[in-house]
Amino acid sequence: MLGRVGNLALLVCQNGPQLQQQCGMATLKAISIRLKSVKNIQKITQSMKMVSAAKYSRAERDLKQARPVGEGAKMFYERAEVEPLAEKPQKLYIAITSDRGLCGAVHTNICRQIRTILNGPDAENIKIVCVGDKSKAILQRTFGKHIILSVNDIGRLPPTFADASRLAAAILQSGYEFSSGKIFYNRFKSVVSYATTDLPVFSLATIQAAPKLSIYDSLDDEVIQSYLEFSLAALLYYTLKESACSEQSSRMTAMDNASKNAGEMIDKLTLTFNRTRQAVITRELIEIISGASAL
Amino acid sequence: MSAWRAAGLNYINYSSIAARILRRALKADVKAEAGKRDVSNLKFTPWIDGKAQKTPVAPSSG
Repeated sequence: MLGRVGNLALLVCQNGPQLQQQCGMATLKAISIRLKSVKNIQKITQSMKMVSAAKYSRAERDLKQARPVGEGAKMFYERAEVEPLAEKPQKLYIAITSDRGLCGAVHTNICRQIRTILNGPDAENIKIVCVGDKSKAILQRTFGKHIILSVNDIGRLPPTFADASRLAAAILQSGYEFSSGKIFYNRFKSVVSYATTDLPVFSLATIQAAPKLSIYDSLDDEVIQSYLEFSLAALLYYTLKESACSEQSSRMTAMDNASKNAGEMIDKLTLTFNRTRQAVITRELIEIISGASAL
Repeated sequence: MSAWRAAGLNYINYSSIAARILRRALKADVKAEAGKRDVSNLKFTPWIDGKAQKTPVAPSSG
């Protein structure tokens, strides 16, 4: 949206005066049409801003409750000092985006990080799970072969734990045996800022090879297995919430900027419009007067 | 091995079934609110060799 508005502005600035000189009447109409369309765009961006502001406040409230879930799951890996196994290099990257655009660079940032890694060495051992249509659209052309699963219909409603657990189940059932992985998401910091970060996930074998696993008491394979499955769902839930919140806040900022830009354009166009109208009137007057004096 | 794992479920399936049963047992005034947390509309599409497979599958959580 921003880009489109920007282009339009450029177009008007470049062609405005030139056209005006060529044919005053036509431009008057052209300007008024353009003015109207920019006004409509502003209305749309303003209402989108309002909508995302409402969604944002809810997402932030939800996020506060979801944070402990993610922190807990993350701490387990940190305490046990789990490291990716060298002999099993299969990796799984999960890109958390959504279906909706018009929200600044949240989705692009995620995909850029993944792209940088895939362009590096060892790329053939990496598979991607695309959550949200945006990451799929960005990654499918260049890295289509790496994608094993794509998920859509996300971003319309706030993510639920049911979403996360179905996603986790789908990843586990996909048949891809990864030893370690990363979830790429946008960590929400404040209304105006987020950071694109990643969280590690590991498989059973990798956890068992962890050096400090013994700090946890009475663990057998089945407990770890169950916990891993749950923690994948918990981590996904947490990252979905973080991403949703960052997305809404980013959309709010983007739409605010778009409305502001549209407002500036409206001011400029109104000025040009009035000036052109004045010029047309003056010219008509001159024509009439000179016609009358010629009689 | 626990019975649910022997039946081919993993912990995610198991816990989501448990959660659903618990939600059903709630009192009426909080049941509606809790019911909203039980919905999931995600659609899954498996990819093979850079091509999306046609039928979106929806693996059940329970």
